[in-house]
Amino acid sequence: MEPRDIELIRTLQREDIFLMPRPFEEAATILGWELEEVLGRAVALKEAGVIRRFGAALTPRNAGFKSNSMIVWQVDDCRAEEAGTRLSQHQRVSHCYIRPSFEGFPYNVYTMVHGNSPEDLKKIVADLSALAGTSSCRTLDSLKEYKKSSPVYFPKSLEPAGA
Amino acid sequence: MLDSIDKDLLNRIQGDFPISVDPYGDIGRSLGISGEEALGRVRRLIETGVLRKVGPFFDARKMGYTSTLCAMDVPEAQLEAVAAIISAYPQVTHNYLRAGHPNLWFTVIAESRERIDEILSGISKKSSISPIHNLNAMKMFKVKVDLKVGE
Repeated sequence: MEPRDIELIRTLQREDIFLMPRPFEEAATILGWELEEVLGRAVALKEAGVIRRFGAALTPRNAGFKSNSMIVWQVDDCRAEEAGTRLSQHQRVSHCYIRPSFEGFPYNVYTMVHGNSPEDLKKIVADLSALAGTSSCRTLDSLKEYKKSSPVYFPKSLEPAGA
Repeated sequence: MLDSIDKDLLNRIQGDFPISVDPYGDIGRSLGISGEEALGRVRRLIETGVLRKVGPFFDARKMGYTSTLCAMDVPEAQLEAVAAIISAYPQVTHNYLRAGHPNLWFTVIAESRERIDEILSGISKKSSISPIHNLNAMKMFKVKVDLKVGE
Protein backbone atom coordinates (compact mmCIF):
# COMPACT_ATOMS: atom_id res chain seq x y z
CA MET A 1 0.00 0.00 0.00
CA GLU A 2 1.27 3.45 -0.91
CA PRO A 3 1.62 5.85 2.04
CA ARG A 4 -0.71 8.38 0.39
CA ASP A 5 -3.37 5.71 -0.09
CA ILE A 6 -3.03 4.78 3.59
CA GLU A 7 -3.48 8.44 4.55
CA LEU A 8 -6.58 8.62 2.37
CA ILE A 9 -8.01 5.37 3.80
CA ARG A 10 -7.51 6.75 7.33
CA THR A 11 -9.43 9.88 6.43
CA LEU A 12 -12.24 8.15 4.56
CA GLN A 13 -12.93 6.06 7.67
CA ARG A 14 -14.16 9.23 9.40
CA GLU A 15 -17.88 8.65 9.23
CA ASP A 16 -18.71 12.29 10.06
CA ILE A 17 -17.46 13.58 6.69
CA PHE A 18 -20.06 11.56 4.79
CA LEU A 19 -22.84 13.43 6.58
CA MET A 20 -21.57 16.75 5.22
CA PRO A 21 -22.66 18.24 1.88
CA ARG A 22 -19.30 17.68 0.17
CA PRO A 23 -17.55 14.72 1.80
CA PHE A 24 -14.58 14.52 -0.56
CA GLU A 25 -13.88 18.24 -0.18
CA GLU A 26 -13.89 17.67 3.59
CA ALA A 27 -11.38 14.85 3.11
CA ALA A 28 -9.21 17.09 0.90
CA THR A 29 -9.21 19.82 3.57
CA ILE A 30 -8.28 17.35 6.33
CA LEU A 31 -5.47 15.89 4.23
CA GLY A 32 -4.31 19.21 2.78
CA TRP A 33 -4.61 17.76 -0.72
CA GLU A 34 -6.22 18.90 -3.95
CA LEU A 35 -9.78 17.60 -4.36
CA GLU A 36 -8.75 15.97 -7.67
CA GLU A 37 -6.20 13.74 -5.94
CA VAL A 38 -8.77 12.62 -3.33
CA LEU A 39 -11.31 11.73 -6.02
CA GLY A 40 -8.69 10.13 -8.30
CA ARG A 41 -7.21 7.95 -5.56
CA ALA A 42 -10.65 7.00 -4.21
CA VAL A 43 -11.76 5.88 -7.67
CA ALA A 44 -8.50 3.95 -8.14
CA LEU A 45 -8.91 2.21 -4.76
CA LYS A 46 -12.44 1.23 -5.75
CA GLU A 47 -11.29 -0.05 -9.14
CA ALA A 48 -8.53 -2.06 -7.45
CA GLY A 49 -11.12 -3.58 -5.13
CA VAL A 50 -9.45 -2.20 -1.97
CA ILE A 51 -12.71 -0.33 -1.53
CA ARG A 52 -15.21 -3.14 -2.02
CA ARG A 53 -18.05 -0.67 -2.36
CA PHE A 54 -18.90 2.89 -1.55
CA GLY A 55 -22.32 3.21 -0.02
CA ALA A 56 -24.52 2.78 2.96
CA ALA A 57 -24.97 -0.08 5.38
CA LEU A 58 -28.46 -0.75 6.69
CA THR A 59 -29.25 -1.87 10.17
CA PRO A 60 -31.41 -4.74 8.87
CA ARG A 61 -33.79 -4.86 11.83
CA ASN A 62 -34.53 -1.13 11.51
CA ALA A 63 -35.08 -1.32 7.76
CA GLY A 64 -37.96 -3.77 7.99
CA PHE A 65 -35.94 -6.97 8.39
CA LYS A 66 -37.09 -7.98 11.84
CA SER A 67 -35.86 -11.57 11.77
CA ASN A 68 -32.15 -11.94 11.15
CA SER A 69 -30.14 -14.97 12.00
CA MET A 70 -26.91 -16.81 11.53
CA ILE A 71 -27.82 -20.20 10.11
CA VAL A 72 -25.23 -22.94 9.77
CA TRP A 73 -25.53 -25.97 7.51
CA GLN A 74 -24.06 -29.44 7.58
CA VAL A 75 -22.96 -30.30 4.07
CA ASP A 76 -20.59 -33.05 2.90
CA ASP A 77 -17.18 -31.46 2.34
CA CYS A 78 -17.16 -32.45 -1.33
CA ARG A 79 -20.49 -30.63 -1.85
CA ALA A 80 -19.81 -27.58 0.34
CA GLU A 81 -18.61 -25.37 -2.49
CA GLU A 82 -21.65 -26.09 -4.64
CA ALA A 83 -24.01 -25.54 -1.69
CA GLY A 84 -22.29 -22.28 -0.76
CA THR A 85 -22.52 -20.99 -4.33
CA ARG A 86 -26.25 -21.71 -4.45
CA LEU A 87 -26.99 -20.35 -0.96
CA SER A 88 -25.07 -17.13 -1.62
CA GLN A 89 -27.23 -16.39 -4.67
CA HIS A 90 -30.38 -16.17 -2.55
CA GLN A 91 -31.49 -12.54 -2.21
CA ARG A 92 -31.90 -12.68 1.55
CA VAL A 93 -28.47 -14.17 2.23
CA SER A 94 -25.96 -11.40 2.92
CA HIS A 95 -22.92 -13.42 3.96
CA CYS A 96 -21.88 -16.99 3.15
CA TYR A 97 -18.71 -18.85 4.12
CA ILE A 98 -17.30 -22.35 4.32
CA ARG A 99 -15.63 -22.86 7.70
CA PRO A 100 -14.18 -25.92 9.42
CA SER A 101 -16.52 -28.06 11.50
CA PHE A 102 -15.28 -29.10 14.95
CA GLU A 103 -16.00 -31.68 17.60
CA GLY A 104 -19.66 -31.60 18.57
CA PHE A 105 -20.43 -29.08 15.82
CA PRO A 106 -20.70 -30.69 12.38
CA TYR A 107 -21.81 -27.54 10.52
CA ASN A 108 -19.49 -26.14 7.85
CA VAL A 109 -21.46 -23.66 5.71
CA TYR A 110 -22.35 -20.37 7.43
CA THR A 111 -25.05 -17.95 6.22
CA MET A 112 -26.46 -14.65 7.49
CA VAL A 113 -30.13 -14.58 6.59
CA HIS A 114 -32.61 -11.69 6.75
CA GLY A 115 -36.39 -12.04 6.94
CA ASN A 116 -39.28 -9.65 7.47
CA SER A 117 -40.84 -11.78 10.20
CA PRO A 118 -40.34 -15.15 11.92
CA GLU A 119 -42.73 -16.73 9.37
CA ASP A 120 -40.83 -15.15 6.48
CA LEU A 121 -37.54 -16.44 7.92
CA LYS A 122 -39.02 -19.92 8.21
CA LYS A 123 -40.00 -19.85 4.54
CA ILE A 124 -36.54 -18.62 3.55
CA VAL A 125 -34.92 -21.42 5.58
CA ALA A 126 -37.07 -23.96 3.70
CA ASP A 127 -35.91 -22.46 0.38
CA LEU A 128 -32.30 -22.48 1.54
CA SER A 129 -32.57 -26.05 2.74
CA ALA A 130 -33.55 -27.07 -0.80
CA LEU A 131 -30.65 -25.05 -2.23
CA ALA A 132 -28.15 -26.52 0.23
CA GLY A 133 -29.47 -30.03 -0.35
CA THR A 134 -29.69 -30.70 3.38
CA SER A 135 -32.14 -30.14 6.19
CA SER A 136 -29.41 -30.46 8.79
CA CYS A 137 -28.98 -26.88 9.93
CA ARG A 138 -28.96 -24.83 13.10
CA THR A 139 -30.23 -21.32 13.69
CA LEU A 140 -27.83 -19.49 15.96
CA ASP A 141 -30.13 -16.73 17.16
CA SER A 142 -28.30 -13.85 18.77
CA LEU A 143 -29.41 -13.46 22.38
CA LYS A 144 -27.20 -10.52 23.23
CA GLU A 145 -24.98 -8.10 21.32
CA TYR A 146 -21.82 -7.35 23.29
CA LYS A 147 -20.03 -5.51 20.52
CA LYS A 148 -20.63 -4.42 16.95
CA SER A 149 -18.22 -1.93 15.41
CA SER A 150 -16.48 -1.14 12.15
CA PRO A 151 -12.88 -2.31 11.94
CA VAL A 152 -10.30 0.48 12.15
CA TYR A 153 -7.66 0.09 9.45
CA PHE A 154 -4.24 1.69 9.86
CA PRO A 155 -4.91 3.25 13.27
CA LYS A 156 -2.59 6.20 13.93
CA SER A 157 -1.24 4.64 17.12
CA LEU A 158 0.32 1.78 15.14
CA GLU A 159 2.18 4.15 12.87
CA PRO A 160 5.94 3.90 13.36
CA ALA A 161 7.53 7.16 14.53
CA GLY A 162 8.57 9.37 11.62
CA ALA A 163 6.58 7.36 9.04
CA MET B 1 -41.61 5.03 9.06
CA LEU B 2 -39.95 4.97 5.69
CA ASP B 3 -41.70 6.72 2.82
CA SER B 4 -41.21 5.77 -0.82
CA ILE B 5 -38.42 8.33 -1.32
CA ASP B 6 -36.55 6.89 1.69
CA LYS B 7 -36.85 3.41 0.19
CA ASP B 8 -35.59 4.59 -3.22
CA LEU B 9 -32.79 6.44 -1.48
CA LEU B 10 -31.79 3.35 0.54
CA ASN B 11 -31.80 1.13 -2.52
CA ARG B 12 -29.82 3.76 -4.47
CA ILE B 13 -27.05 4.36 -1.94
CA GLN B 14 -26.54 0.89 -0.47
CA GLY B 15 -24.32 -0.12 -3.33
CA ASP B 16 -23.33 3.00 -5.15
CA PHE B 17 -22.44 6.26 -3.40
CA PRO B 18 -20.99 8.59 -6.07
CA ILE B 19 -17.29 9.44 -5.75
CA SER B 20 -17.73 13.03 -6.95
CA VAL B 21 -17.55 16.67 -5.89
CA ASP B 22 -21.24 16.79 -5.03
CA PRO B 23 -22.43 13.23 -4.32
CA TYR B 24 -25.65 14.25 -2.58
CA GLY B 25 -26.55 16.50 -5.53
CA ASP B 26 -25.97 13.51 -7.85
CA ILE B 27 -28.07 11.20 -5.66
CA GLY B 28 -30.82 13.83 -5.41
CA ARG B 29 -30.93 14.28 -9.19
CA SER B 30 -31.39 10.55 -9.75
CA LEU B 31 -34.34 10.54 -7.30
CA GLY B 32 -35.93 13.85 -8.30
CA ILE B 33 -35.11 15.66 -5.04
CA SER B 34 -32.55 18.32 -4.13
CA GLY B 35 -29.09 17.50 -2.79
CA GLU B 36 -30.04 19.17 0.51
CA GLU B 37 -33.05 16.92 0.85
CA ALA B 38 -31.01 13.81 0.00
CA LEU B 39 -28.45 14.69 2.69
CA GLY B 40 -31.21 15.60 5.17
CA ARG B 41 -32.86 12.25 4.65
CA VAL B 42 -29.58 10.35 5.01
CA ARG B 43 -28.88 12.19 8.28
CA ARG B 44 -32.34 11.30 9.55
CA LEU B 45 -31.93 7.64 8.52
CA ILE B 46 -28.64 7.55 10.46
CA GLU B 47 -30.22 9.22 13.52
CA THR B 48 -33.12 6.79 13.52
CA GLY B 49 -30.77 3.86 13.13
CA VAL B 50 -32.08 2.62 9.78
CA LEU B 51 -28.63 3.29 8.34
CA ARG B 52 -25.58 2.21 10.27
CA LYS B 53 -23.01 4.07 8.21
CA VAL B 54 -22.35 5.78 4.91
CA GLY B 55 -18.91 5.62 3.36
CA PRO B 56 -16.37 3.15 2.01
CA PHE B 57 -16.37 -0.58 2.82
CA PHE B 58 -12.93 -2.03 2.49
CA ASP B 59 -11.67 -5.42 1.40
CA ALA B 60 -9.54 -6.10 4.45
CA ARG B 61 -7.51 -8.79 2.70
CA LYS B 62 -6.45 -6.44 -0.10
CA MET B 63 -4.95 -4.16 2.57
CA GLY B 64 -3.04 -7.04 4.13
CA TYR B 65 -5.50 -7.69 6.94
CA THR B 66 -6.89 -11.07 7.86
CA SER B 67 -10.06 -11.87 9.77
CA THR B 68 -11.75 -14.83 11.33
CA LEU B 69 -14.81 -15.98 13.28
CA CYS B 70 -14.23 -17.59 16.66
CA ALA B 71 -16.50 -19.56 18.95
CA MET B 72 -16.13 -20.56 22.57
CA ASP B 73 -18.40 -22.08 25.14
CA VAL B 74 -18.60 -20.02 28.32
CA PRO B 75 -20.43 -21.02 31.51
CA GLU B 76 -23.34 -18.65 32.13
CA ALA B 77 -21.93 -17.24 35.36
CA GLN B 78 -18.78 -16.07 33.56
CA LEU B 79 -20.43 -14.73 30.41
CA GLU B 80 -20.40 -11.01 31.19
CA ALA B 81 -16.79 -11.05 32.39
CA VAL B 82 -15.48 -13.09 29.47
CA ALA B 83 -17.46 -11.04 26.93
CA ALA B 84 -15.89 -7.88 28.40
CA ILE B 85 -12.37 -9.35 28.10
CA ILE B 86 -13.03 -10.16 24.44
CA SER B 87 -14.75 -6.88 23.53
CA ALA B 88 -11.88 -4.88 25.02
CA TYR B 89 -9.65 -5.86 22.08
CA PRO B 90 -9.94 -3.22 19.31
CA GLN B 91 -9.36 -6.06 16.82
CA VAL B 92 -12.64 -7.67 17.91
CA THR B 93 -15.42 -6.05 15.85
CA HIS B 94 -18.42 -8.30 16.59
CA ASN B 95 -19.18 -10.22 19.76
CA TYR B 96 -22.50 -12.01 20.32
CA LEU B 97 -24.12 -14.40 22.74
CA ARG B 98 -25.93 -16.98 20.61
CA ALA B 99 -28.33 -19.81 21.33
CA GLY B 100 -26.86 -23.27 21.91
CA HIS B 101 -23.28 -24.40 22.38
CA PRO B 102 -20.77 -22.94 21.82
CA ASN B 103 -22.51 -19.78 22.94
CA LEU B 104 -20.06 -16.90 22.48
CA TRP B 105 -19.21 -15.93 18.88
CA PHE B 106 -16.83 -13.13 17.92
CA THR B 107 -14.84 -11.87 14.94
CA VAL B 108 -11.20 -10.78 14.99
CA ILE B 109 -9.44 -8.71 12.35
CA ALA B 110 -5.69 -8.10 12.48
CA GLU B 111 -2.56 -7.67 10.38
CA SER B 112 -1.59 -11.34 10.39
CA ARG B 113 -2.65 -14.86 11.40
CA GLU B 114 0.10 -14.74 14.03
CA ARG B 115 -1.39 -11.62 15.59
CA ILE B 116 -4.82 -13.30 15.69
CA ASP B 117 -3.28 -16.36 17.38
CA GLU B 118 -1.67 -14.06 19.98
CA ILE B 119 -5.00 -12.37 20.68
CA LEU B 120 -6.75 -15.73 21.05
CA SER B 121 -4.13 -17.06 23.45
CA GLY B 122 -4.49 -13.81 25.39
CA ILE B 123 -8.25 -14.31 25.65
CA SER B 124 -7.81 -17.95 26.63
CA LYS B 125 -5.32 -17.03 29.33
CA LYS B 126 -7.31 -14.13 30.79
CA SER B 127 -10.57 -16.06 30.80
CA SER B 128 -9.07 -19.47 31.69
CA ILE B 129 -11.33 -20.95 29.03
CA SER B 130 -10.29 -23.22 26.21
CA PRO B 131 -10.65 -24.25 23.52
CA ILE B 132 -11.36 -21.22 21.39
CA HIS B 133 -12.43 -22.51 17.99
CA ASN B 134 -10.76 -20.39 15.31
CA LEU B 135 -13.05 -20.89 12.30
CA ASN B 136 -11.00 -19.38 9.49
CA ALA B 137 -13.07 -19.12 6.34
CA MET B 138 -11.91 -21.67 3.78
CA LYS B 139 -14.05 -19.92 1.19
CA MET B 140 -16.01 -16.67 1.20
CA PHE B 141 -18.96 -16.39 -1.16
CA LYS B 142 -20.54 -13.07 -0.29
CA VAL B 143 -19.96 -10.23 2.14
CA LYS B 144 -22.40 -7.60 1.10
CA VAL B 145 -25.50 -6.45 2.85
CA ASP B 146 -27.53 -5.11 -0.05
CA LEU B 147 -31.11 -5.82 0.88
CA LYS B 148 -33.88 -4.63 -1.35
CA VAL B 149 -36.03 -2.36 0.83
CA GLY B 150 -39.75 -2.04 0.40
CA GLU B 151 -40.83 -5.47 -0.74
